[in-house]
Amino acid sequence: MADAPKLVNLTVDGKKLTAPAGSLLIDACKNVGIEVPSFCYYPNLSLQGACRMCLVRVEKMPKLQTACTTVVAEGMVVATDNEEIKQARKAMVELLLGNHPLDCPVCDAGGECELQDMTFSYGAAESKYMEPKNHKDEQQWSPVVFFDRPRCILCYRCVRVCGEGMDVWALGVQNRGVSSIIAPNKEDHLECEECGMCIDICPVGALTSGAYRYKTRPWEMNHVGTTCAHCADGCKTTLGVRRADEGMEIVRGDNRDKSGINNDFLCMKGRYAFDFANHEDRLTQPLIRKNGKLTPSTWEEAFELVGKKLNEVRMRDGGSAIGVIGSTHTTNEENYLLQKFARAVLESNNIDHHRTADFPALAAVLSGKQEITASMRDVYNAPAILLIGNDPTEQHPLLAWQIRNNVRLHGAKLHIINSEPIKLRRQATSFTQIPVGAELNAASFLAGDDSALNAITASASRENWAALRNQLRNTENLVIIFGSEIRGAAVTAVTHLASSISGAKVIALADYANSRGASDMGLYPDLLPGYHPAAKSGLTLPQMAENAKSGKLKALYVVGSNPLARFHLDSQIFAGTFVVVQDMFLTETATIADVVLPAANLYEKTGTITNTCGDVQIVKKASEVNGPKSDFEMIVRIADAMGYDVRNLVPFGRGETADMGQSRGAQSGEADRHAVWLQANNLEPKLSPFDPMAIFDEIQRLVPGYRVSRLNLLSGNDEHTQLSQSGPGAKHDPALIVPAHDNLFSSGTLGRYSRALNSVMENRNPQPAEVAAD
Amino acid sequence: MPILKNIAAIAKGMSITFMEMFQPTEVENYPDGPGPLKGAKFQERFRGVHVLQRDENGLEKCVACFLCAANCPSNCIYIEAAENTAENRVSGAERYAKVYNIDYNRCIFCGYCVEACPTDAITHGHGFELATFNASNLVYRKEQMLAPMPAHMGANAVFNQAEVNQGAPAVPVQGV
Amino acid sequence: MADLVSHPDEVRVVSKRFGKGATNIDRYIELDGYKAVRKALTMEPDAIINEVKNSGLRGRGGAGFSTGLKWSFVPKQASKPKYILCNGDESEPGTCKDRLIFEHDPHAVIEGVMIAALAVGATKGYIYIRGEYRYLSEIMQKAIADVYAKGFAGKNIFGSGKDLDIYWHGGAGAYEVGEESALMESLEGKRGIPRIRPPFPAVVGLWGGPTVINNAETLASVPHILLGGAEWYANLGPPKNGGTRLFCLAGDLEKPGVYELPMGYNLKKMIYEVGGGIPNGRKLKAVVPGGSSTPILLPEEIDVAMDFDSVAKTGSMLGSGGVVVLDDTVCMVKFALRTIKFYQHESCGWCIPCREGTDWLKKTLIRFHNGAGLKKDIDNMYYLSENMLGRTFCPLGDAAAMPMMAFVKKFRKEFEDHLDGKPCPYEKASEEINRELAVL
Repeated sequence: MADAPKLVNLTVDGKKLTAPAGSLLIDACKNVGIEVPSFCYYPNLSLQGACRMCLVRVEKMPKLQTACTTVVAEGMVVATDNEEIKQARKAMVELLLGNHPLDCPVCDAGGECELQDMTFSYGAAESKYMEPKNHKDEQQWSPVVFFDRPRCILCYRCVRVCGEGMDVWALGVQNRGVSSIIAPNKEDHLECEECGMCIDICPVGALTSGAYRYKTRPWEMNHVGTTCAHCADGCKTTLGVRRADEGMEIVRGDNRDKSGINNDFLCMKGRYAFDFANHEDRLTQPLIRKNGKLTPSTWEEAFELVGKKLNEVRMRDGGSAIGVIGSTHTTNEENYLLQKFARAVLESNNIDHHRTADFPALAAVLSGKQEITASMRDVYNAPAILLIGNDPTEQHPLLAWQIRNNVRLHGAKLHIINSEPIKLRRQATSFTQIPVGAELNAASFLAGDDSALNAITASASRENWAALRNQLRNTENLVIIFGSEIRGAAVTAVTHLASSISGAKVIALADYANSRGASDMGLYPDLLPGYHPAAKSGLTLPQMAENAKSGKLKALYVVGSNPLARFHLDSQIFAGTFVVVQDMFLTETATIADVVLPAANLYEKTGTITNTCGDVQIVKKASEVNGPKSDFEMIVRIADAMGYDVRNLVPFGRGETADMGQSRGAQSGEADRHAVWLQANNLEPKLSPFDPMAIFDEIQRLVPGYRVSRLNLLSGNDEHTQLSQSGPGAKHDPALIVPAHDNLFSSGTLGRYSRALNSVMENRNPQPAEVAAD
Repeated sequence: MPILKNIAAIAKGMSITFMEMFQPTEVENYPDGPGPLKGAKFQERFRGVHVLQRDENGLEKCVACFLCAANCPSNCIYIEAAENTAENRVSGAERYAKVYNIDYNRCIFCGYCVEACPTDAITHGHGFELATFNASNLVYRKEQMLAPMPAHMGANAVFNQAEVNQGAPAVPVQGV
Repeated sequence: MADLVSHPDEVRVVSKRFGKGATNIDRYIELDGYKAVRKALTMEPDAIINEVKNSGLRGRGGAGFSTGLKWSFVPKQASKPKYILCNGDESEPGTCKDRLIFEHDPHAVIEGVMIAALAVGATKGYIYIRGEYRYLSEIMQKAIADVYAKGFAGKNIFGSGKDLDIYWHGGAGAYEVGEESALMESLEGKRGIPRIRPPFPAVVGLWGGPTVINNAETLASVPHILLGGAEWYANLGPPKNGGTRLFCLAGDLEKPGVYELPMGYNLKKMIYEVGGGIPNGRKLKAVVPGGSSTPILLPEEIDVAMDFDSVAKTGSMLGSGGVVVLDDTVCMVKFALRTIKFYQHESCGWCIPCREGTDWLKKTLIRFHNGAGLKKDIDNMYYLSENMLGRTFCPLGDAAAMPMMAFVKKFRKEFEDHLDGKPCPYEKASEEINRELAVL
């Protein structure tokens, strides 16, 4: 760690305070609770000094000074609250309101507008302005970004966050003086990553979101803090939820309290792609195949049928004739429950999921050794980062944001080894391009095997490689991030490199919201939760398909997964198999199913998920669609229908007291507060068999890495789980890993049913965004 | 002279009595009086059933800002907003109220909504006969409260063409 | 090309070679050209700076900061290259002095840049010429080419072993870029918007290197100081205001033009003697002493010595030397409108008070002049200017606010005469301004 910064003493409004040398006056004031208003100042973006709201009187200075550009100095005497300052602020708001349209009643920002707040706090009650206001018509820049020039106060936050924060540089300023206008990079439209950061950061309603605009008002929504359902980065998000005909509808996604691992960052998917929940194709009733056609039925009929059929197969052909495919989009609790259901109720080890990263290999190397996995927060603070494979800009937007801003703000060194010239190379200290598929060679070389390079590079560039290796070896606290290109032996090599460097850490990149959780929870035929080996190994996903083909697989239970499309399986092979699918939509796999059960998505239930770094976070019930049930409930009810005592599946009903509020989540938040209280009193909430927390108790007992602070977790914070205390893991066939290859605007099944993502995809110029940004 | 004083006071008081005695009788003959109000009379300020006003172009004044709902002490206003499009323009601004319900089971006619309205869209009309045997009838929808289109806007199914040619005044008609 | 004017009171230093064909490098050398830089090459850098400091030379751009002092702020050792920047983006209304220097004596500017470069240890000098002065950039281009041809610039200048490159650069038509940090932004190819200070350009300037920015007239004076000596130059003007200055007499005068007069020359004398007085027997109404951004002076205030400190005492500024004389036919509301229109047009839009304030003032003044003014507008205009003053990002806001406040304060009656829907009582007389307004 760096040395503690030197402190300087200064006086603000007669209050003596100390602040680290080099810090800005506006921050120093804020830290002691003295409010200095500002529009253009935004932490971690370059300084503007443009809005002149933060003017303060610094003694011995002839003019008022902007607190956002003044660096604290020893003995500085500052006044922020006298008549002169009040008048300056008042006049500034008056000037600003001159040309500002007072259309607050229709403006999206009304109610959470910084200009409104400033006017209330510092402005004049009456307007002196009598002239005609300048007007420009509203523009639509992209399917999700709208711009209303008259409302713009030209604070340049959007320009800066787009350029400095996102490294997209899609916004700029045209004209000058009062005609100045924020303009997109392609004359009348944007070619960018559609992250919506510009909208989020806009202090007024000048930039509005296509998904949210004119739908409701800020105070009309409930705000539920949960975790994003898309990629494996696990951004914390606040969903704005409002009443709708069909339950509760999500109308907005942002991270309004700027907490969590992502601070204020969200990407396109997190910010807009929640609309799959209300897609018209959403299943709301169980479907049972009758006379070859899927026909709507009741839940009771469906569960009874599934229970009966599965029981039959188990009795007749044994558990090994039943396959289970889990999901990368369900909670840890559901995944744990599913594998427990498979192993205990179905008596089958044939359980697998869509694997996108080789976590068992990582666990195998780390088991019983020093813990060296990094959290998402480490990426932002590491002095150096080595990135092998993957394209975080497209596949891991938060990771890319952390890397970029670490480089920009902390001067971190970024080393990239990739087969493609990925966009992050613009931030890189060194970029080494390797042939496709040569990641293992690169990793082995870096781990110390000199001969590994022979196959991939001419001897001329060896020196560069050696220099890179030397540099990395001498970089303390290096964070090594690798994509799914690194599997099996390569994981071992990279981990060895990491353990040879003091303080180095690793991150393995998977592709879906709970890919890591599915892996940790033992959705493997040969691994139990916590990477402990199973007594008897079952079938992997491709093996199940083969068995189905040969008629040996009699039943298949698919939870939130679409193996038919993902693994390009022939739908005919399941002709003789009883297939049960739990999903939101009629996917390829669901169309061949005998029973389809409509499932709730991650925004509609409570539980925990683990991001690719191993940071476990809570998800809370935000929205609701009438009809679907959570996978958790469905698994329990199928077990019940099979005649299994669900008390052996979900340890409920044994506690002294109980939590009834679990399913209420979204509206009251009561469940969580209650759970916090229970935890603090050493009690466990267990009354309902559908209570994920009952299973989470068990997970915390049995999966070593998950013994994290429950209180912290339930308060909405991220907790890093550890791999090193887990079981010995396993070496799997690298071919079992099938990367998702999602980009910024696709997200598997969820993306397919998101109107926002689809509209952006249709609009997008086929040229890569990077060309535009250059 | 207390007696004289008393007499004077009585005379003064009685003079008013006698004066009023010869004024015409004013009794509200509701509900048997003439006219649509059946004899009921109101002060202008009387707060009756709400009227959602239209602007001079016949567009709804309400822009669905939710301020009335936010201000309502009995929480009886329910609004769903939607965006105006070129094809379907309902209000003068960008947004309009797709659904606007007032639950008269709960409304206390305090007038806060009228105070809060930034566009003078919601006003109190003089409608007062709200009683019903079915409480669900008391949830008034937007269509029930909206001021009718002025005749010259051509909204009425039957209208007098001669009047239109003359240019009928665009006076908002009182609701209920 | 403007005709040259002259007056016996003139002390010709910078304008010494005007009209003598000094654009030709050989002719320039004949007229003592490039002697000063040869002398500078023999001097220690500190000695050059001291010489300039002692001469009392103050920046001719308007702010009047001591040139020698500015040079001395440049760190001796710097990790980045140092630069000399000549600010020839002369855009202040009423000012046209740099134009004459570039037209008649471009080599003096180049020589000044060279001496400054030697003094602070810079190896690159840029001469930034206002975009509208297109023909001047051709003259400058040729002058620079000649200098390179003679071996005075480039590698090993004058055979001294030192390297110095001189470049010219044209503006793109923004008044704002006359501000030094905006000029650097413009030169770097960005929007001409001022930078946050500190750091000051002398420490972190062009492309992050220490940079000296001086007005063209300032730099053109430097060779004369080195040749004539600091003491000679200082004694030309009053204490602390060394030398002479090019005054641009404009407006309602018999003999308008650019005159070089010693610092501290009386303004009244300047108008009535040098400028030949007000034509057609009209009366003096007001004087803008130093370019449109300086507060206007009333006739009773003009008995003042034209140096930085004396003019400051009247509540105005010496500014850039553009003296604009207005006779009694000028409508002051219209003149205010003309001035504010300029600033509204030239505001860069970066900060709120300037962007919104100038626009507001312009709109009010247009309405006011058209006879729809209200009494409270007068106070409001003063209020707005008062609240712009000193609170803007760069001095452009001040430049608009200061004269506006003076207009309201000193000509309140004239504003009041426009009230109550009255037609402008001065309208007919200000045809010329009308014409100008129509163009905008």
